[in-house]
Amino acid sequence: MSPCFPLLLAVSGLFLGAAPVRAAVDYLKGVKPLLQERCYSCHGALKQKGGLRLDTAALLRQGGESGDALSMGADGKSLLVQRVSSTDPEEHMPPQHEGERFTAAQIAILSEWIASGAPAPADEKPEADPREHWSFRPRQRPRVPAAAPGGWGRNTIDAFLAQGYASGGVRPLAEAPPEVLLRRLFLDLVGVPPTLEEIAAVEEAPGSDWYPAAVERLLADPRHGQRWGRHWMDIWRYSDWWGLGAQLRNSQKHLWHWRDWIVEALNADTPYDEMVRLMLAADEIAPADPQKLRATGFLARNWFLFNRNSWMEETVEHVGKGFLGLTFNCAKCHDHKYDPLSQADFYKMRAFFEPYQVRLDVVPGETNLERDGIPRAFDGLLDAPTFRFVRGEESNADKSVLILPEVPTILSQGTIVITPVVLPLLASQPERQPWVLDAHLEGAQKALIEAEAALAKLGEKKALVEKKGTAGGEVSPSVAGQPAAQSGADAALWLDRAEVEEAMCAVDFAKADLRSMKVRAEAMRAQWENFPHEQELKSAAIRAEREAVFARELHTLAEARGRVLRANVDKKPAMEKQVKTAEEAVAKASKALAAPIEAADSYSLLYGAKWTPTRFLSSAKDDPVVPFPKVSTGRRKALAEWITDPRNPLAARVAVNHLWARHLGTPLAANTFDFGRKGSPPTHPELLDWLASELVESGWSMKHLHRLIVTSAAYRMSSSLAGAEDALAKDPDNRRLWRRTPLRLEAEAVRDSILALAGELDCAEGGASIPAAAQNKSKRRSLYFYHSNNERNLFLTTFDEAAVKECYRRDESIVPQQALALTNSSLVHDAAVRIGVLLFKPGSAPGASEEESFVRNAYSYILGIKAKPEEVAACSRAMEAWRRTAPSGETNASALARTNLVWALLNHNDFVTLR
Amino acid sequence: MSDSLPLSRRNFLSDLGLGFSGLALGAMLEREGRATSTLWTPPTGLPHFPPKAKSVIWLFMNGGVSHMESFDPKPMLSKYGGKTISETPYAEVQDPKKLALERLVVPDGNGNQRNKIFPLQVGFQKHGQSGMEVSDWFPNIARNVDKLAVVRSMYTTDSNHGAQTQFHSGRHMVDGSYPTLGAWVHYGLGSLNDNLPHFISIGTREYWNNKDGHYLGPAHDAVPLRIDPSNPLDFGKPERPFSAEAQGIGLDLVRELNTLRGKEYPADPMLAARLASYELAFRMQRSMPEALDFSKESAETKALYGIDQQHCRDFGSQMLAARRLVERGVRFIQIQHGGGGAGAWDAHSGLKANHSKLALQVDQPIGALLADLERRGMLEETLVVFATEFGRTPGTQGADGRDHHIFGFSVWLAGGGIKGGVVHGATDELGFHAVENRHYVTDVHATILRQLGLDSRQLEIPGRKRLEIDHGKPITEIIA
Repeated sequence: MSPCFPLLLAVSGLFLGAAPVRAAVDYLKGVKPLLQERCYSCHGALKQKGGLRLDTAALLRQGGESGDALSMGADGKSLLVQRVSSTDPEEHMPPQHEGERFTAAQIAILSEWIASGAPAPADEKPEADPREHWSFRPRQRPRVPAAAPGGWGRNTIDAFLAQGYASGGVRPLAEAPPEVLLRRLFLDLVGVPPTLEEIAAVEEAPGSDWYPAAVERLLADPRHGQRWGRHWMDIWRYSDWWGLGAQLRNSQKHLWHWRDWIVEALNADTPYDEMVRLMLAADEIAPADPQKLRATGFLARNWFLFNRNSWMEETVEHVGKGFLGLTFNCAKCHDHKYDPLSQADFYKMRAFFEPYQVRLDVVPGETNLERDGIPRAFDGLLDAPTFRFVRGEESNADKSVLILPEVPTILSQGTIVITPVVLPLLASQPERQPWVLDAHLEGAQKALIEAEAALAKLGEKKALVEKKGTAGGEVSPSVAGQPAAQSGADAALWLDRAEVEEAMCAVDFAKADLRSMKVRAEAMRAQWENFPHEQELKSAAIRAEREAVFARELHTLAEARGRVLRANVDKKPAMEKQVKTAEEAVAKASKALAAPIEAADSYSLLYGAKWTPTRFLSSAKDDPVVPFPKVSTGRRKALAEWITDPRNPLAARVAVNHLWARHLGTPLAANTFDFGRKGSPPTHPELLDWLASELVESGWSMKHLHRLIVTSAAYRMSSSLAGAEDALAKDPDNRRLWRRTPLRLEAEAVRDSILALAGELDCAEGGASIPAAAQNKSKRRSLYFYHSNNERNLFLTTFDEAAVKECYRRDESIVPQQALALTNSSLVHDAAVRIGVLLFKPGSAPGASEEESFVRNAYSYILGIKAKPEEVAACSRAMEAWRRTAPSGETNASALARTNLVWALLNHNDFVTLR
Repeated sequence: MSDSLPLSRRNFLSDLGLGFSGLALGAMLEREGRATSTLWTPPTGLPHFPPKAKSVIWLFMNGGVSHMESFDPKPMLSKYGGKTISETPYAEVQDPKKLALERLVVPDGNGNQRNKIFPLQVGFQKHGQSGMEVSDWFPNIARNVDKLAVVRSMYTTDSNHGAQTQFHSGRHMVDGSYPTLGAWVHYGLGSLNDNLPHFISIGTREYWNNKDGHYLGPAHDAVPLRIDPSNPLDFGKPERPFSAEAQGIGLDLVRELNTLRGKEYPADPMLAARLASYELAFRMQRSMPEALDFSKESAETKALYGIDQQHCRDFGSQMLAARRLVERGVRFIQIQHGGGGAGAWDAHSGLKANHSKLALQVDQPIGALLADLERRGMLEETLVVFATEFGRTPGTQGADGRDHHIFGFSVWLAGGGIKGGVVHGATDELGFHAVENRHYVTDVHATILRQLGLDSRQLEIPGRKRLEIDHGKPITEIIA
């Protein structure tokens, strides 16, 4: 939920005069809500502790095991009042840790109501059985209502809405004009407005049925995946990594691989259920397929350096909210107060995730995992137990009961079956992936070329040093001594000499390293294939690696010596210590080189992946390495299959609600992440179920759903309330969806549109996130900007860009900072110049009408509006004023006026609004 | 200053010819599905009960000020200097049960137990009528001691600098990110002046602590302000050449076009709000430089704040700006001092040099602020808070530093209906644990909210369960 008001400025004015008038205590307004908030969770439909229910006045009177809750006791207090006002911790209600105490004022309300005879409506109904809650009931394909009288409507969606219009006595608004529809469709499906040509094509063919073709074209456009990818990135909590300075603490490096997978999957219309399964368990479903493994970025994103419990709790919370519309997080410390989820259910859900860890897999051509690598999940802690935390306190685990993975009883379609997955060798030994050894060799080859190039650059120095060296001293790195005197030419020579030595050692090391890798790669292949020479190759690999280590230590020593020479006098002692350490390392490596190879010796494997180390043990160093097991528990696969089982009542409903919300601005069920009893029921339950059935029965095709929704008459309605006073009076909140609500464009759509209108938007797909420092100049789509808890783009944040921790819906605030960003940013000013040039077609219509045609074009291009004469007139007046007041040196006052007009239209309300 | 501004704002909006129906409100509630909660009503922008304070100036010293060397003198440190804690009569302060308060996030070289007592690095004098003791590093604050209520019994739970966010939001970093006090005030109270943002942040904020709204939304983040009349706000002036005249013509046109559009799209609350937001932005752009223009301040005033002195020019300007912003009706001004590393006050070594230098930067300006607010009759309705994320260890770190210390530290409040010359709570003889009238950081929040006339429980948002400790309890003993 995002609790910010869309109308921050206006909101405080709206509540004046709304203060309630206190009359005699009203049961429905004063008493019942109080009991509902504090008591129903234990004494209602969910539970009946002590045999007591309090959800109707009759049930209160009926009482429980301790008797009637309302009759006055000896002290003149009813049992109810006695228990809520008791100071005895054993007695008072709600019990300790189960909720806040009643205040004196609240107790007075109860007492007063009871004293007045506890009046309540006769037809009061008790709470419904939680199993009967709308979202927990099995989903059934609803019967489609007969077509609306008068033929309103374009598809089945409209038939469901028409029922409500009839019963509510409201008439749906007429269809929006074509130019509004075109802009709506473009921004909704691809996130940028139409081009001049696309607008002209629609304008020039009045009456043509351009709409369905445009829908198909836009759904097939690669920009569609970028637009909707960002929506799902909100829901699935995309975040680039963040930490303290350079230390990774949250999420993962290169998480953008997951972002790219989302965009590609949407463009390919990958079924929604498949996407969910891959995000939760690609490592168990497609364990050797790096393309699909990217999907588990969903889990890699929750990685947290320091605390396993926060990590697990976030995972349970957002798997629940994101895929199921369930607030498991409310059951972390105690049984859920509103939904049939016990505290144990929270930990059972956690148990699905308990074994998982995160690693980076090597990608073709790059073995430096700081530079690239695919962050992905794997089951590393196969036997990690899950325990319930008493009252949610991590220091208070109940170790007497081992919690096993299980789904909540109320939603289980039979017991879930968990089958361990035997992983292919490519997953447990990722170095076997065909590109891995090559990537290592390529890397070593590249390092050698670089080292040789660096040495070659020193050509002259090298020659000089060699010449002088033969005349005056030693240049062999292993025995190079300290200079006796460091002054003048002598000192310069020593410095050069050190530099040359370092470069030569670097080349030696690069050569030895390349050779070591080649030999090791050969030995690894031999071992995989059980070659006859396996043992010999192993020995060769061990020896080659020792040689490489020796060369590396020599290089380190040369560098250390160079640092001594270059250091200021006061730093020299510290640098000399490093030389000493390096010398010891050289000696050690030399000894190892000379030692015979024993049977127990081994060489380091060339890695195909690295576990991302955690620090849960508070030891101030990385936790012991988690190896890659040969099996996976199969827990997450089982969970994913349960979530996406067509019989699961929640998953499809939650997904279509999100789709609907982003197309029409208002979800059918208001709380997109809470389909529980505390959430609002949907305004159109049958429509929601029908859409969910369509999703499932179309093979979970999201494009099918997009098509259905955008081709409905509901989607194509106008948002103008002119002449709609009657409907507005009858249904001011649009609960019957008789009109479109105008939407504030999301941050990314605002920036992307500005650049697109200027003809500058770079819609290239994929790749590493654009770092903050490069964003000002970048023309890439906004979804590619680096976006983490710590680093967010100022312009985008101003327009309520997604919070990375949780964003099931965007805020739509309207604040002055947005006005400042649009009036003052270089983004807008620069775009205005370009758009002005782009729109100006000299000679097309000479004289005053040239300006008029510019204004009309600008209106249509920037706002998707056909300018009215009074709007054209107002623009012309302003342009005239700009020309008149142009700076004296301005050579092209008309061009300046055009730029300024474009600037004004980019600041028009309807630029940031989807009408 | 008037509390009835929301009404005039509504008039302002309806004056634009765009009538307001219940549409906006209903839509908003439906959007969040809150209409179902019968116990919840959104904030009205008005206080819940009569306020004592109208504005808050929140001074936060980044890094952790030594409580023993500022407002909580501990002569025993000098007496036992060089001895280990276990050699003093107070060895029980290290009872593991008492230390269990700490919730460690980052095991590193800092935030550890420091056993060897480090003597006090500065002298203390009694000041004012109250005779309260203040260290010699803060002589100007000391002169105002009879305005202060010093709370010497604070504690927190994060022994690393996540305690900065914890002091602002009440929540430990591991719990996630929660709205800060200023965001709650912004959410709960309307503006006192529509020409300026009512929640402003000045100074250095560490990047892990640079947002306020969190689940309340970015609209409740503080607006960052630079003390530079030529460029005070982000996007506060055109980033490309654009004369005020040309901009004025443009903004007039935008207003006219939007109003015309309102005829075709009547009763559109978003359109009305956007019109209003442009008005406010324009006024803000114009008013902010004026608020930061010190040219009309007397030489005496500028000297009082130390603006003429190199070492306190920056902070002095921030304090003078704070007074001018409060004068103009800004509700909440958050000023953080000491950037770099995890906060400049983080004196792991060389505490004496560090604290004496930083105190010199802030002492005169803060003293000036208190005196200036009082002589202008503004202190009564302006609550000034001096806080820091934690104190520092009684024991020495390295040769001459003190480590992070969460078990006891000091803050002070002044003005806005707070008693002056009061010391509340106490730490033990070593300054180790808060032992008397202990207060978690949210008690400071509760005190401030109460003075502003807000009840945090009435601000609670359905679905966002706040714990008892999030609300805190007002420190009634220091309220006048």
